[in-house]
Amino acid sequence: MSTAASSSNSKPKTQEKPKVEEKKEDVKPRLGVLEEDDEFEEFAAADWDDSQTDLAHLGGTVPGAAKSGGDKLWEDNWDDDDIEDEFSMQLRQVLTIQNELVKTGKGNAMEH
Amino acid sequence: MDFTTFLSQLNDALIAENGANLAYLLRPTSPHGKNFVKEFRNPPPTQESLERNYKGSIQSPWDEIAIKYVLVCYNVARRRPQDAYREHSALVQAFSRRYFTENRGWTLPALFSLLRDLRDLAFDADFYAKYNGQKSECMEDAARKIADAFTNCVTDRISPPDQSRKWGVYYVVGLVLKSYFRLRRISLSKNILRALEVHRDIPALSQFPRSHQVTFRYYLGMIHFLNEDHAKAEEELTLAFYHCHVEAHSNQERILAYLLPLRLLKGHLPSDELMQRFPTLSEIFMPFVDAIRLGDVTAFDQALEQRGSKLVDLNLMLTMERAREVCLRGLFRRVWVASDKNNRIPIPMFHCALRISGIDVDQEEAECLVANQIYKGFMRGYISHEKQMVVLANINAFPRLADRPNPLNML
Repeated sequence: MSTAASSSNSKPKTQEKPKVEEKKEDVKPRLGVLEEDDEFEEFAAADWDDSQTDLAHLGGTVPGAAKSGGDKLWEDNWDDDDIEDEFSMQLRQVLTIQNELVKTGKGNAMEH
Repeated sequence: MDFTTFLSQLNDALIAENGANLAYLLRPTSPHGKNFVKEFRNPPPTQESLERNYKGSIQSPWDEIAIKYVLVCYNVARRRPQDAYREHSALVQAFSRRYFTENRGWTLPALFSLLRDLRDLAFDADFYAKYNGQKSECMEDAARKIADAFTNCVTDRISPPDQSRKWGVYYVVGLVLKSYFRLRRISLSKNILRALEVHRDIPALSQFPRSHQVTFRYYLGMIHFLNEDHAKAEEELTLAFYHCHVEAHSNQERILAYLLPLRLLKGHLPSDELMQRFPTLSEIFMPFVDAIRLGDVTAFDQALEQRGSKLVDLNLMLTMERAREVCLRGLFRRVWVASDKNNRIPIPMFHCALRISGIDVDQEEAECLVANQIYKGFMRGYISHEKQMVVLANINAFPRLADRPNPLNML
């Protein structure tokens, strides 16, 4: 049988067990390549509890809120007023020039 | 295990109502399957020869099912996926029509396993046919048969609630949707989703095993995503992600691949911790996230260009193009910060900022971009076109992205 059939058949027993069964594999970050044709895989166990999910770290808050809502997986307060890079410098230069223009413009207007 | 022992074990499983054992006995990859290939090697097994010896050996339809099982194993071993599919399909038919519907939910583990194998064998058969330049529609056929099984589950009106075949509903729907996605006939999902709504006596999704919930929510979320119903997609995919087993890494990755862009639109950026757990996604999305943080639209555009074909393959291009607005907001916010958060900023200032960051537009276009940002709620204020001046709200000129009303519908 080809890979598709054997992959879901190779870890089948747990499917029927109503209660939790842990996989023995280590959790290693996998550098697989995400492909369009990949399928959602059969789970090794049928059921599990909160401690084995990302609900575990939420401490009862709503999933997917963000850091301000107690979910460390997402940031919703990331506006940064203190970015110092070349772009900031250039922006400030432009601003100074603009202000000068406005001032001189105003100055001229008042003279007349 | 020889075939006679197999028959008696089948019989035991039926008497004991042991669904898990039944599933094991009927799985083509189980060790006894290979034994039978040897046992019936000479002469090769046929329907007729097996019937001659074994018909009536156990209660009907199980004699027939056992015979079909031998033929499935034989054809799998012989690498004849299309014949294997045909035999297995007949096996499923006999089981569904003549046993499953007559019994309570204890047989569900067997049904799940049989349908899963049906789909896998259909995949192999079609793959093999395609490779050999033949036409094959096993996956279509499998999808239909799995959808029939859904009906057989949902229409159980006799079994007591805790033993109902209804407990098979969401697993089977998950398989049906998986088949439709494989066939790229996602519009077919409508019927089965409607059937789920119509049958109000199905227990709540949250009462089903988590594996059923997560798979169903993933596909439902994907359907909403493809229909560009972003808010609903985000809701389902969020639940799928958070209820998924953390060790089911590739499933979590798959969910997150679609959840993450939706969250970007909402102004929620993935934390470093999250990205470290999913290096593949980090590789795809981090350049966008960094660009959004800096308001660096050029870097964002470069990322779009570099990752374009991947994003197109994954159906994510449109969503990421929309996320560019979020990046643009960051750029305009920096203009405001550089202007000491003055509430009056001349259009030429925005125009210059765009040009400095490498976006070559004229002033009218810059004005238009600002107008759009205001319209979409990224900035609060108005434009005095005559004075070429943007007048921003004194308070909360750039609301936190997450605070925009209906963030996913205003894009």
